[in-house]
Amino acid sequence: MSALQTFGIVIFGVGAVVSGWLVFRTDSMVRAAYWLMASFVAVGAILVTLDSQFLGLILILMMAGEMTIMAIFMVMFMMNPAGLNPMVMVHQHRTAIAAGVGSFLLLATVALVADFPADPVPLGADPTAELGFELLGRSMLVFESAGVALLAVMIGAVAVAGKWGRFGDADAGSVEPELEPEEGGS
Amino acid sequence: MNPVQAVLFIGVVLGLGAYLVAVLDRVFAGAPGGLRSGLMWPIRRTAFLLVQRRSETERPDAEAWALAPALLAALAAVGLTAVPFTPSLAVADVSAGIVLFGAAMIIVMVAVFLQGWSPNSIFPLIAAYRFAAMALSFGIPFSLVVLTTAIPAESLSVGAVVASQEGLWNVVRQPLGLPVYLVTGAAVAFWGPFRIPEGTDLAGGTALEASGPTLAVWRIARAGVLVTLSVMGAAIFLGGHLGPVLPGWAWTSVKSVALLTLFVWSGHAFARMRVERFVWFGWVILLPIALVDVFASGIVAL
Repeated sequence: MSALQTFGIVIFGVGAVVSGWLVFRTDSMVRAAYWLMASFVAVGAILVTLDSQFLGLILILMMAGEMTIMAIFMVMFMMNPAGLNPMVMVHQHRTAIAAGVGSFLLLATVALVADFPADPVPLGADPTAELGFELLGRSMLVFESAGVALLAVMIGAVAVAGKWGRFGDADAGSVEPELEPEEGGS
Repeated sequence: MNPVQAVLFIGVVLGLGAYLVAVLDRVFAGAPGGLRSGLMWPIRRTAFLLVQRRSETERPDAEAWALAPALLAALAAVGLTAVPFTPSLAVADVSAGIVLFGAAMIIVMVAVFLQGWSPNSIFPLIAAYRFAAMALSFGIPFSLVVLTTAIPAESLSVGAVVASQEGLWNVVRQPLGLPVYLVTGAAVAFWGPFRIPEGTDLAGGTALEASGPTLAVWRIARAGVLVTLSVMGAAIFLGGHLGPVLPGWAWTSVKSVALLTLFVWSGHAFARMRVERFVWFGWVILLPIALVDVFASGIVAL
């Protein structure tokens, strides 16, 4: 690994961690989503630095779309139409701190203790082509089942969000509740 | 190419292209004064914007608002780096150049969303959501037709895609590619009939609250995206620098300017589309055409 590559990995690594931390420090859902995107872009840049251009760039490409969708969904479910009003982005502080410290210790232990295989890629290998053979070869079943599951989720989400529903069309408007509570109401 | 040369080169190409976009737009609009006034217009307009006082909104997200135009300009520049202007003149003809271009063009969605969302103003905000709906509808067909050009080349490098068109251009080999590319490309730059997030029905939309130098950068950056789309379209569909007699850079320029003219002209030839219709158009019309393009090219390649 050249000095330039090491330098790039350190810079992008710090960038990924700092922008990941900012996700939780900011007070707006849109900003949180885009800090998360910045973090993923930095991870993609690390992959590019490691000569895995296709994987790195495709990660960046996918994340740009995903994070915008995520921002819109968060704003929708939070009923804060602009997403500009300041809000606290974290909750359940004690559990979150415990989980954070716990997973950091676990991952740090793994990083220090585990015996990583030294399996250098031969010079001139084409990682994009190898990825293609892997996706449509040995790992085909795994990727295809994940793909079909995701497709089912997407169809389900569209069906749930559709204007048709159990209580009639969404654009027909809702009926105001009675002013007087029903007898023995539930 | 060393980094200083590369930055200068990309800057000059984008600057000249953006100037051409402004002049053509003025001429196609039939503005009074004809070509002579049109040639001066971009300079006058930029000079005016540079000294214009900036308007402010109540509690904007100042950082994101400042970032959005710069991000849009940077994306246009990044997309352009992957294109070889002659067989030897490319800033970075990287092995996954087409994916680099695709990623840059998809992140345009982030720039436009931030530009609309950050002023804390209602019309730009609606415009931001409109563009998100648009971008999700054109994103997949756009990426598909761009990536399909890599199938005959058996490489994701733009240089290899251009080289693979020696003898037969992709516009003939993949007849569905260029039309879908032109439509979705105009939508990426929210130009012409797809000027949906900057429509007059939103009093200017994403550009409503922008003023002064920020608006100048936003306009130049949007024209720059159009330039990048034209140069890339010329490279992956019209054979880029390939052609008889003239040198390579001349062919690249001629083909790019032709596509750029087509893009700008579309803004004056077609009425603006409503966003609901565009979403329908993207998923029901463009996506199946793009898929047929992929499958047909795959079968031909096999």
